[in-house]
Amino acid sequence: MSKKVYLGMSGGVDSSVSAVLLREQGYDVTGIYMKNWSQDLPGMKCPWAEDLADAKRVAVQLDLDFEVWDFEADYKQKVVDYMFAEFQKGRTPNPDVICNELIKFKLFYDRAMERGADYIATGHYARVRQDRLLRSVDENKDQTYFLYRMSDEATAHTLFPVGGLNKPEVKQLAKKHGLDVATKKESMGVCFVGEVGMKDFLHEYLDAQPGEIREAESDAILGYHDGAIFYTIGQRHGLYLGGGLPYYVVKKDLQRNIVYVSKNLNHENLWTRELKLEDLHLRNGLTVDGLMKVSDLQVRLRHRSELLSVRVKPVLQESSRPTGSERSEQAPRNDGRARACLEEHGLAPALQLIFATDVRRPASGQSAVLYSGEVCLGGGIISD
Amino acid sequence: MIYLDHAAATPVSDKALQAMLPYFSEQFFNPSAPYLPAKRVREAYESAKDQLAHVIGAKGVDLVITAGATESINLAFTVSHGKVLTIATEHAAVLEAAKLHDHALVKVDKAGLIDLRDLEHNLSDQVDLVSVSLANNELGTIQPLAEISEIIRRVRQDRLQRGITTPLYLHSDASQALNLLDINVSRLGVDLLTINAAKCGGPKGVGALYITHGVKLAPINVGGGQERGLRSGTENVPGLIGFATAAAEAKSHLSYHRKQYQEMTKILRQELSALQPQPIFLGNPKKQLANFCPVTFPGLDAERLIYRLEGREVYVSTGAACAASKGSKSHVLAAIGLSDAEIAGSLRISLGSTNTVDQIREAARIICEEVTHEYERLSR
Repeated sequence: MSKKVYLGMSGGVDSSVSAVLLREQGYDVTGIYMKNWSQDLPGMKCPWAEDLADAKRVAVQLDLDFEVWDFEADYKQKVVDYMFAEFQKGRTPNPDVICNELIKFKLFYDRAMERGADYIATGHYARVRQDRLLRSVDENKDQTYFLYRMSDEATAHTLFPVGGLNKPEVKQLAKKHGLDVATKKESMGVCFVGEVGMKDFLHEYLDAQPGEIREAESDAILGYHDGAIFYTIGQRHGLYLGGGLPYYVVKKDLQRNIVYVSKNLNHENLWTRELKLEDLHLRNGLTVDGLMKVSDLQVRLRHRSELLSVRVKPVLQESSRPTGSERSEQAPRNDGRARACLEEHGLAPALQLIFATDVRRPASGQSAVLYSGEVCLGGGIISD
Repeated sequence: MIYLDHAAATPVSDKALQAMLPYFSEQFFNPSAPYLPAKRVREAYESAKDQLAHVIGAKGVDLVITAGATESINLAFTVSHGKVLTIATEHAAVLEAAKLHDHALVKVDKAGLIDLRDLEHNLSDQVDLVSVSLANNELGTIQPLAEISEIIRRVRQDRLQRGITTPLYLHSDASQALNLLDINVSRLGVDLLTINAAKCGGPKGVGALYITHGVKLAPINVGGGQERGLRSGTENVPGLIGFATAAAEAKSHLSYHRKQYQEMTKILRQELSALQPQPIFLGNPKKQLANFCPVTFPGLDAERLIYRLEGREVYVSTGAACAASKGSKSHVLAAIGLSDAEIAGSLRISLGSTNTVDQIREAARIICEEVTHEYERLSR
């Protein structure tokens, strides 16, 4: 009997071609549309119904069973609320990382397994080899940056059918099989919100007060913002401070609701040689000690950004999270005893990244993802 | 291609298209402009309005041209300052407009026909507007408008006798019916009637509201005061000309088309009835637009059928196109008491001028094959 696969179908070209490939490989495929978000926002129509229709059309064309699984309540609670809380702390969270960890490769995975699946599959650009998560063949499309928190168990039971292909090949296959989604625009970022719409999205749900934008060096008031939480260190767009050389956000004072900017691209807050990672997720039983011994360790600080050589050392710090919370259940799975010992003293394991030269400082709340060669070793959340 | 979704949209007729074309190019003038060529455009516009009004037994001055039926319905509802009565099977445009008022829903039967006794029962003194479509857009059910207007006439008399001055108006959405029923506003006894170009061989985005003399409405657009000040905005000259041409053309072919559609739906029903399990045809064929054949295949997922059929270039839909695109189940089919499984398996098949008898036989064969395929898939 052929192996049973539950494939997450988003209505996009990657998951659609994944369906074609899985079927060609002889799997018994059921297409699942994960309904995570369906609310419209003022001036923004959530395209979930169209995406669902696109996904279903492809499933029917391939004569697959197809279902809609509704994770909307969980997505709101585990992803959106987390995102809001992070923004309110002045950080810039990455909701896609959390969605993959807690929704796609947790709830979706669990439900598929309960239904008797041998594997789940998605249209992500990544590979799995010997239960390890590997970057995709198409380095430009690799999505392991968003996947580093998926559990080892889910990884061992996940297929990424397009992970071994280049994007142009995927599009070619879609055309060859007459899939209408071949030319569909790619969805970006959080569901339909995308990066451009994030501020509007947050405005809809979070209270924010207008405040001053000051020049870091002179403390002069250059303008006004509509809420310091909407700004990210390093950001240079959307400040509306007029022409000339661009200003960069270099500091946020949430207490006084002031955003500090500078024209100096060499401002010390924009660069760093060290970064602290919290909320570690190390893969395949790797410990911090083990990580320190990896000779070719590299890190990616943003999706699609270059891989940087890096050294690591452990840090002890006060736990930033209340123990027993939803999120801390997802905490790193390091050496159990060491961790227990740390937590006993109110300490959580954290990691210091040390670079050979200065790097542009990523926003706190974003992820840093570690690699050895093409293998993803895990990563953590960049702390303040 | 076999197109079986004429209730969603009809192709613009050649005659309508030809009539419209000059008004996009050489006759482009703003009908309100002061020079002679513009005056000619004004004359053409007013004469098209007369032509369109004539189709429903009215005069040009009784019509306000709108950007589609939804706008016409919204304008009609400005007449109400009290309570509105309508039925649960109405198009979303009517239901949403009703929700802006104190409103109640009159019962319908299994075929979607209004319960006249329940209507009478609900006609309290607060009600000042009753809105019932002439023909339903998912079932094709034709409502007894003349009987409704007779009830309303009696209630009006009764109110006057009792010294109650609250007016009572009857609005009907006839969007689906213009090319299938001989519509006459006096015979129907309506005060307000909505018609739609896109369902009778005219262009999309053009509709009209017939308003009986003396009925006071509030503008939905303010501005230059066009359309009696009720719908400001430069007139859609080619749109109205296309609408009037298509409506007049449809009216002249009315009985011929009706006969054709009756024959074709009969064939369709016969062919589909051979399926096992037997499909359930919705509505009452005796009180249904001749081109409608709504049907449910219990246990099947109609959306899957649509995509299967689409793969064979046969185009049908579930429910109203606007409901389908929201991913919600049909409120019309729920209102006539269908189970969730019956709703999930239902297709709206609506014929039109593009169809031939041969096409219908071919479509029936393809539908039967795909329905069988889907039933077999389920039993695997």
